[in-house]
Amino acid sequence: MAALALIVVVLVITLTPYLWLVMTSFKTRLDALADVPIWLFTPTLEHYPKVFLDKDYLPLVLNSLIVAGSVTALSLLIGVPGAYVFARHDFPGKEDLFFFFLTTRMAPPISVVVPMFLLFSYVGLIDSRIALILAHSTFNLSLVVWMMRGFFEDIPREIDEAAQMDGHTRAGTFFWVLLPVAAPGIAATAVLCFILSWNEFLYALILASFESRTLTVGIPGLVTPHGTLWGQVAAVAVVATLPIIAFTFLVQHHLVRGLTFGAIKG
Amino acid sequence: MIAGKLASSILDRGVGPLFLAPSVLLLVVLLLGPFVYMVVISFTDLSYALPDRDGNFLGFDNYRRLVRDDPVFWESFRTTMIFVFGVVSTEFLLGFALALLLFHHIQRRRVILTLLLIPMMIAPVAVGLMWKLMLHGEFGMLTYYLRALGLLDPQTALLGNHQLVLWTVMLVDVWEWTPFVTLVILAGLLSLPREPFEAAVMDGARPWQIFRDMTLPLLRPIIALVMLLRGIDAFKEFDKVFILTGGGPGNTTELLSIYTWRVNFRNWDLGYGATNAFMVYLVVLIFCAVFYKAVYWSRST
Repeated sequence: MAALALIVVVLVITLTPYLWLVMTSFKTRLDALADVPIWLFTPTLEHYPKVFLDKDYLPLVLNSLIVAGSVTALSLLIGVPGAYVFARHDFPGKEDLFFFFLTTRMAPPISVVVPMFLLFSYVGLIDSRIALILAHSTFNLSLVVWMMRGFFEDIPREIDEAAQMDGHTRAGTFFWVLLPVAAPGIAATAVLCFILSWNEFLYALILASFESRTLTVGIPGLVTPHGTLWGQVAAVAVVATLPIIAFTFLVQHHLVRGLTFGAIKG
Repeated sequence: MIAGKLASSILDRGVGPLFLAPSVLLLVVLLLGPFVYMVVISFTDLSYALPDRDGNFLGFDNYRRLVRDDPVFWESFRTTMIFVFGVVSTEFLLGFALALLLFHHIQRRRVILTLLLIPMMIAPVAVGLMWKLMLHGEFGMLTYYLRALGLLDPQTALLGNHQLVLWTVMLVDVWEWTPFVTLVILAGLLSLPREPFEAAVMDGARPWQIFRDMTLPLLRPIIALVMLLRGIDAFKEFDKVFILTGGGPGNTTELLSIYTWRVNFRNWDLGYGATNAFMVYLVVLIFCAVFYKAVYWSRST
């Protein structure tokens, strides 16, 4: 009983900040800035159309969708075959090369984005979705390789052998036999890629801060020292987070695996 | 027919390199390329703020400046260290305790675990915003209740106070990432074999003995992993602090990542900024190496 009470406390602490954000996005300015916190109020829908239509924040949603979608497609397209090679082929230096993919997880984004900014401005790609897609694909590609290697290794090798007996080439085995079996893993990896790119802030802030800026970059844009419109910025934050929470419920099964780079098959 | 088979067999042998090359190529071009460029720039005076500083070679001047003449860098190095070690150890202890609680006392965990995922899955910028809203000095919900309980001075705002702000920022990180430790440790606990534990209970071992002599040693690889991952991510921290405080007040919450951002994209001092970025990279690399060694060493003794 005490344990359950403790868990309830933990959940309240975990969820209240988010609940408060959602509530703020439906509060009038007066309610949001009240001296005494207001928990019950008449909700208003004014902030959503104001920020997304009048302030023209709708393109940011589109940018986020295009960037996250493209990054996911690109990372899977390039990374899944690579992961298959790591899982099924042997060659000298394989584990060293595999480790190279992990080092990209260690690299601090600020140290990556500084030279990327210099290079991209040199080739005229600053403030473009392409720059952001390329930048995000660096961390997502290694995530795909790490996660998918594990998923491929979960498939018994007998399946490959049976397929080759049936006359499939190695490439054919990959395309017609292994990919369908690994499909649930690919789906989970795709969702995680999408989330990581959708949530990403620093690369987006530096590489795409005007025309092609994403939702996350739009959030601090509304927080100013001279008066923040809390209802509107909360509305943007809710739109930026709600789809992610829905996604989280979808793939929670594989999330621990993804968040530990495939090290734990939770 | 035979020619076709031969062609497909040659093609087949090439599957490995063919499938792997794009990934390696992309990473080399997008990570190694800029990395080398950064090191080159770090030896120059490149600046977008001053027209005459267009990339003249400086030798090791930037590095000398960083090591000897930049107290702000070292201040932010210190801040980063406090932040990293503070949040990782707190998150580890709290997360481990919560994992044990869930493991031993709760049977139907699924819904709880899903809800616990929310803080770490939503955008860190949104996390920062949420807490900025709750900690606001005038109408913040949490500020109000802390003051009502007499825990916070009416004149003080947690994010505006030099003594408290770093701890506050760390607390937000603890809120966001403790569930991660819980989930990983819980996955570890669930993967442990049951028999030795049952045998130990039969032999009359006390719970804390079992925990110390069996659970902890068996979980060691997972503990090391979760600490390493959290350590790396804490070093990388930028988003939340950027929106919560922007590094202020003064330099009190200016982590290395924020300082490097400021040098590069506020002062546009890109040559020196590249030096900074390179040093941050080195710090993380050294941290990882030391941690690996520590784990390896403690395992071999």
